[in-house]
Amino acid sequence: MKKKILSLVGLFTGCLLLLSGCGAKGDENNFVVGFDAEYPPYGYMDDNGEYTGFDLELAEAICEMEGWTLVKQPIVWDNKDNELNSGSIDCIWSGFTIDGREDDYAWSDPYVDNSQVIVVSASANIHSLADLEGKTVGVQTASAALSVLEDPDQQRSLADTFKKLQEFGDYNTAFAELEAGSVDAIAMDIGVAQYQIESRDNGNFIILDEHLNSEQYGIGFALDNTQLRDTVNADLHKLKENGTFDTLAEKYGLSDMVCLE
Amino acid sequence: MSFQVILSQLASGMLLTISIFVLTLLFSMPLGFFVAFGRMANNKVIRFLTQLYISVMRGTPLMLQLMVVYFFPWYLFHISLGSFWRFPAIILGFTINYAAYFAEIYRSGIEAIPKGQYEAAKLLGYTKAQTFLRIILPQVIKIILPAVTNEVITLVKDTSLAYTLSCIEMFSVAKQIAAAETSMLPFAVAALFYYLFNLLVSLGMNRLEKKMSYY
Amino acid sequence: MNYLEMNHVRKSFGDLEVLKDISLTVQQGEVISIIGPSGSGKSTLLRCATLLETMDEGTLSYLGQAAVTMEQGHSVYAKPAELDAIKQCFGLVFQSFHLFPHYSVLKNLIDAPIHVQKRPKEEATQEAMELLEQMGLADKANAYPHQLSGGQQQRVAIARALARKPEVLFFDEPTSALDPELTGEVLKVIKQLAEANMTMIIVTHEMEFARKVSDRILFMDKGYVVLEGTPETVFQSDNERMREFLGKLQKE
Repeated sequence: MKKKILSLVGLFTGCLLLLSGCGAKGDENNFVVGFDAEYPPYGYMDDNGEYTGFDLELAEAICEMEGWTLVKQPIVWDNKDNELNSGSIDCIWSGFTIDGREDDYAWSDPYVDNSQVIVVSASANIHSLADLEGKTVGVQTASAALSVLEDPDQQRSLADTFKKLQEFGDYNTAFAELEAGSVDAIAMDIGVAQYQIESRDNGNFIILDEHLNSEQYGIGFALDNTQLRDTVNADLHKLKENGTFDTLAEKYGLSDMVCLE
Repeated sequence: MSFQVILSQLASGMLLTISIFVLTLLFSMPLGFFVAFGRMANNKVIRFLTQLYISVMRGTPLMLQLMVVYFFPWYLFHISLGSFWRFPAIILGFTINYAAYFAEIYRSGIEAIPKGQYEAAKLLGYTKAQTFLRIILPQVIKIILPAVTNEVITLVKDTSLAYTLSCIEMFSVAKQIAAAETSMLPFAVAALFYYLFNLLVSLGMNRLEKKMSYY
Repeated sequence: MNYLEMNHVRKSFGDLEVLKDISLTVQQGEVISIIGPSGSGKSTLLRCATLLETMDEGTLSYLGQAAVTMEQGHSVYAKPAELDAIKQCFGLVFQSFHLFPHYSVLKNLIDAPIHVQKRPKEEATQEAMELLEQMGLADKANAYPHQLSGGQQQRVAIARALARKPEVLFFDEPTSALDPELTGEVLKVIKQLAEANMTMIIVTHEMEFARKVSDRILFMDKGYVVLEGTPETVFQSDNERMREFLGKLQKE
């Protein structure tokens, strides 16, 4: 019996050790970036199963400059504020839209100019925002596109003409639904839209020329963490000066969208 | 991403899934007994509190409970436990939830044992602890085995709820790969993983049931 | 020395008084049968004597050791350790056997001697096998209770009670749960025990058996002992309630 208990305890400790992958150690020198791992090209899993993307590579470069260790912490988007406030992550760096959230975070300078657009099936007879009347439009839960469509000062009146605003968890599901015809259009960031359409590469999807709005991405820190924000912001500008920023933007096909001065 | 990479990524998620599964069972199954005893206690206060606990655990979504466990140290006491707390919080959340379900299963089993078994044991001089461990428990286990099997299989699938706390177990891995590859294949592989896992679980439980069917 | 002594026992369930001032004294080797209509309090008396129920008033002692005393008009139970020692003095055979279904016949017999009385396993096993031999069940040692007939199960239950070597053995309607053709084998075993001078108190509906095997018979009705005496005096009594009881039994 004693042996059994001992082996159980051993098993338990073994499991705990194994599981350091689930939570990073609370090391002072760690820079914990919270990101949506289902949000290419900003943050996603690459061909080797590693997390990468435009935002994560920028973070990596800054960590190299500062001598920090980068911890890439995928988060559930709905819980991003809880994660940030409770100190589980140091910042949200994940194609994170500033507009509408100006006062909620300590922001870096905007580095990507991103518009919210509508993606439709190429074969559908939808060419303008007005054509969306009576249609079902998909949008990611808690996303910038959703807040644009719900904001009375922005596109609320347009959204009111839809048959339904269908929320979904990730873009892969949304595109599957678009392909299946259960939604007629998807509202999302232009960068994501371009990536999704290119990687599918089947000519089935197009982006409407008319955009929902224009907006900018920044790195979000907790409001009381301006010190870290200032360090990272300064480093971001250094990366712009030494060319790393533009090289990465080109690598991820975002050259037309970056806006860091 | 090659199929091999997809498999190895899913396998690493599987490891986490299995760990959540094993640790949850390890803690919730014994804890369930204490809850069951509390539920059947003579003391009214203890009985009421455990009843309340069980009804909250069964009456609210597990996903919500996980979030409460993980975030409450910050929101209640402004203690920042950081990422270190993530995995323990998941195990704690799953454990207290499953203990409530196990407790009700145990209670049904314990209450199904005829009063005469207790009286016979008392007459033969067994102590209360001996009566429970030697006479009652073995019979309870046989009665509750099918219900426990159900619960264990549900747990295998419930582990995917750990994604709420950004724990990248198998289903989250599948979702991430699916996003990166813009493909549904990882979900099919994940489904197969879950199915095989549960097949093993039910085979094991069936063997146990057979072993217990000598009386 | 009195093997069992109960004095002025009272017991109520809520407003219902089930035992009204019952006294009973049993000497070594005596066989007592308790008869009476259902609801007369026979089983409750047995359950009080075996400590399965607590009595409200009255005293109880085995072989001079007090289990229950009276203080200020209420029953007071001895300390748990003392009660544990007193419990070793008696055994009880239930109406519906209550064998442990997950233990083999042999383990049903030896588990308590080994784990409660801390006797060596070999000794307990040897004695258990002898008991099973006496009961005519030696070949069933490794069977499980569900594989046995009711009569066999009850004989195992008797052997289980005897395995602890009690001084007094109680029977609570030992044949009531059995098919009529199986009662004989159980009664035969009890008769053998009576011949071997075992002290026994038997609650039963088997009048013929009670008459033959008992030294003394108690007739209980509505919580009182109405008649007490040798089988002849009790069965030939012209007490109205006794005649009524016997009359009902004959009609059945």
